[in-house]
Amino acid sequence: MMTKKKWAVASSLALSSMLVLAACGDEEETTNEGTDTEENTNEETDEGSTDIGSTLGTDTTNADEAIEGGTLKVALVAQSPFQGIFSWTLYEDGYDADLMEYTTNAIFETDGDFLATDEGIASMSVDEEAKVVTIKIREGVKWSDGEPLKIEDLMLPYEIIGHPDYTGVRYDADFKNIVGAEEYNAGTADTISGITKVDETTMTIALKEVSPAIASIGAGIWGYAEPSHIIKDIPVAELVEHDAVRLNPVTLGPFKINKIVPGESVEYVKNEHYWKGEPKLDGVVVKVVPSSSAAVALQNGEYDMAVGFGATQYDQIESLENIEILAREELAYTYLGFKLGKMDTEAGQVVMDPNAKMADKNLRKAMGYALNIEEVSDVYYYGLRSRANSFIPPVFASFHNADLPGYTYDPEKAMELLDEAGYVDKDGDGIREDKEGNPLEIRLATMSGDDIAEQITQYWLQNWADVGLNVTLTTGRSIEFNAFYDKVQADDPEIDIFMGAWGTGTNPSPMGLYSNDAAFNFSRFATEESQELLVAIDSPEAFDADFRKEKLLAWEELMAEEAPVIPMNNRLEITPVNKRVKNFSIDYTTDLGLEDVQLTAEEPIK
Amino acid sequence: MWKTILRRFLVMIPQLFVLSLLIFVMAQFMPGDPFTGSITPDTDPARIEELREKAGLNDPWYEQYGRWIGNALQGDFGKSYTYKMEVSKLIGERALNTFWLSFISVILLYIIAIPLGVLAGRYSNSALDKSIILYSFVTYAIPTFVLALIFLYFFGYKLNWFPTGGSVDVQYDPGTFGYAWSKMYHMLLPAITYAILGTTSIIQFLRSEIIDAKAQDYVRTARSKGIPMRKVYTRHIFRNSLLPIAAFLGFTITGLLGGSIFIETIFSFPGMGQLFISSIGSRDYSVITALVMLFGFLTLLGSLLSDIIMSIVDPRIRIE
Repeated sequence: MMTKKKWAVASSLALSSMLVLAACGDEEETTNEGTDTEENTNEETDEGSTDIGSTLGTDTTNADEAIEGGTLKVALVAQSPFQGIFSWTLYEDGYDADLMEYTTNAIFETDGDFLATDEGIASMSVDEEAKVVTIKIREGVKWSDGEPLKIEDLMLPYEIIGHPDYTGVRYDADFKNIVGAEEYNAGTADTISGITKVDETTMTIALKEVSPAIASIGAGIWGYAEPSHIIKDIPVAELVEHDAVRLNPVTLGPFKINKIVPGESVEYVKNEHYWKGEPKLDGVVVKVVPSSSAAVALQNGEYDMAVGFGATQYDQIESLENIEILAREELAYTYLGFKLGKMDTEAGQVVMDPNAKMADKNLRKAMGYALNIEEVSDVYYYGLRSRANSFIPPVFASFHNADLPGYTYDPEKAMELLDEAGYVDKDGDGIREDKEGNPLEIRLATMSGDDIAEQITQYWLQNWADVGLNVTLTTGRSIEFNAFYDKVQADDPEIDIFMGAWGTGTNPSPMGLYSNDAAFNFSRFATEESQELLVAIDSPEAFDADFRKEKLLAWEELMAEEAPVIPMNNRLEITPVNKRVKNFSIDYTTDLGLEDVQLTAEEPIK
Repeated sequence: MWKTILRRFLVMIPQLFVLSLLIFVMAQFMPGDPFTGSITPDTDPARIEELREKAGLNDPWYEQYGRWIGNALQGDFGKSYTYKMEVSKLIGERALNTFWLSFISVILLYIIAIPLGVLAGRYSNSALDKSIILYSFVTYAIPTFVLALIFLYFFGYKLNWFPTGGSVDVQYDPGTFGYAWSKMYHMLLPAITYAILGTTSIIQFLRSEIIDAKAQDYVRTARSKGIPMRKVYTRHIFRNSLLPIAAFLGFTITGLLGGSIFIETIFSFPGMGQLFISSIGSRDYSVITALVMLFGFLTLLGSLLSDIIMSIVDPRIRIE
């Protein structure tokens, strides 16, 4: 259920509306679910708030007597209409993913590390020697139209993604790991040779390479089923526009879609065939609500909960009597990156430049120690953000290492490091020169957000000025989302350092972001030592969790020592819930499903 | 006249052509492309590059333009990168919402503006006239988004009189009375906002026309024949003064399209204006170009419509 991948597509949408509304003088705009890559900021609180994050729970505390049935009213906080592609295989929009939570066709359930367990509709086993994954489905599971789930329903998504007519991003290097996928995509084979039906409840997938990512439902393994009895005969090119995907998708989840107003709202009714038993609610209505009005709507009791509610609007709901605020860690971190080289696009390899302006690791470390991230988290984010110490968010129960010291605020140490490295103020103007005594100007690229984002940026610049570093903004101001990534990816010479954010997804492997051939390795840092560790983290030996953890830790220590990228913040996402809602949880590992949710009053409490 | 209209339509072709060229080139200048937004650690950069190549985004702009214009001439505006559906179908859905919103707005606009304009003109320089002028100055000066936000907050949230977003409630079935009413109800607040903001020019026009007409010979003649003042107003002055207002209709429609960008965004009303803004953010080129072309066409059509109406209501005017 929690293998949802996040897509930055939505963030650019959210951002665009934000620009308009911000220009309209609307006091605050926030980002939503699916916005991995932009800065969330908000107004200043006057009191230095303590760590609110730890006081918020993940489960509703309502213990009242529940009413029979009832309809849950959900506000989907979004700046633009949802796209309405209700297929896990085809969707790309984060909002669509939010809407599919109620109908989910996920076949695996996951544990605290987002690894597949045997509790779900399907279970898998890996034969590391033969490089074959066997997937077996439970008997007695039915689609929402009463049709029994078949093993073909699990095989179909592979045939869609691999199909030559498929135009999404999921036909990728991971998918090509399946034996025969490339031949099928090229049209030289009618089926994917590596995918075989064994019997009515079992299939096998032959892979070229096995890696621990399989357990994270990655490396080519697909975690969702498609109703083959309905869509098998629809040509792949037409599927994304077909009513079976857009209007009346058949589901395996606790609810099924009854009615849709395109882009605006979805009405669900309970799925009587749900394999875990009939849901307690009669139905759910989800409506798109702009972030500017979400808080007032909650206060007025128009909704039972808000999904994708911006953490920066926390102050608007914190004192509401009818609302309980739930919080959980986001699968994301913000970071400060240093440009240390270039991408050789011909060879597809990162090439480090020993003469790069930021090449001295003591300079980088000093810049990390100089930032008062702790204070910004408290003052601007109500403690809903905390300083990150690692590239693995704390959600990953056994991979996150809480003992890493990270870069805590320590300006004294920063100055010491700079002095040691030879960055000293020679002309006595309070600004340090480089080792040769030439003026040192460091250019920082940041993404534009609202006015608070700008304030925080100024605060960072001040932090650096305090230790004697002259940091200025690339282009003189913060940069629009699309332009920012264009510049950062193109290794724009105007950028020495940059601040961004990554959603990690559910696979803790840092391979895609930091390996020597990763286009998203924006700092262009690649050493043999680092590459070796990364390869080890995803190697077959790493099926042994202890081995993997050990290599991850070694890699993180290396990254902390070399500091090509310094993690800045981990974030909490919040879900405000009306107090009439019972048995609802946003905990990643909860046993409570949407089928357990109940209401304790006829209407939301005002 | 038919000949003239035909000629005007023919002139539109080069105008639209230049517009399409401009928008196409300018869209290319925007940083990023439809796939920039899909970068996450989970996406394979090689696949994104492959999709770019497949979509032809790596070709020089004139090749892309040639391809696009060739298809557009056959009525095919391509597929939306974001919504994964035919642009014409996507815009069609939204255009219908915008059309109805504009329709109701125009009706409300005239319901508010005409009586006010007539009263101001008839009782010129009275306290009533002055307060109407004050009203029209205030509404002229106030930016669209400010009034929209105030109304949304006050009537939508504080008083709960109107729905605060969307175009229809999900529980009704299309075709039923409840559905139609729900649609109407959702459009009311944005339409009122728009109508109030658009009244100024009509009030001012009508007022000055009526003040002018009051001094005309035919009014004096009518009065000297003993026709009561009330009748002179309804029969003579009003009719004549209304001419330019009728002609304004075409431009009003044009103005509505510009306003729709703000109104629809603030009221989260899924129409063309909102679609336009979101497609710019996501660099959905095919939708952006198609919408600009549509806006351009409608603007030209609006001004033509104004000329035609003018020549119908006032036989002295000939469009040549």
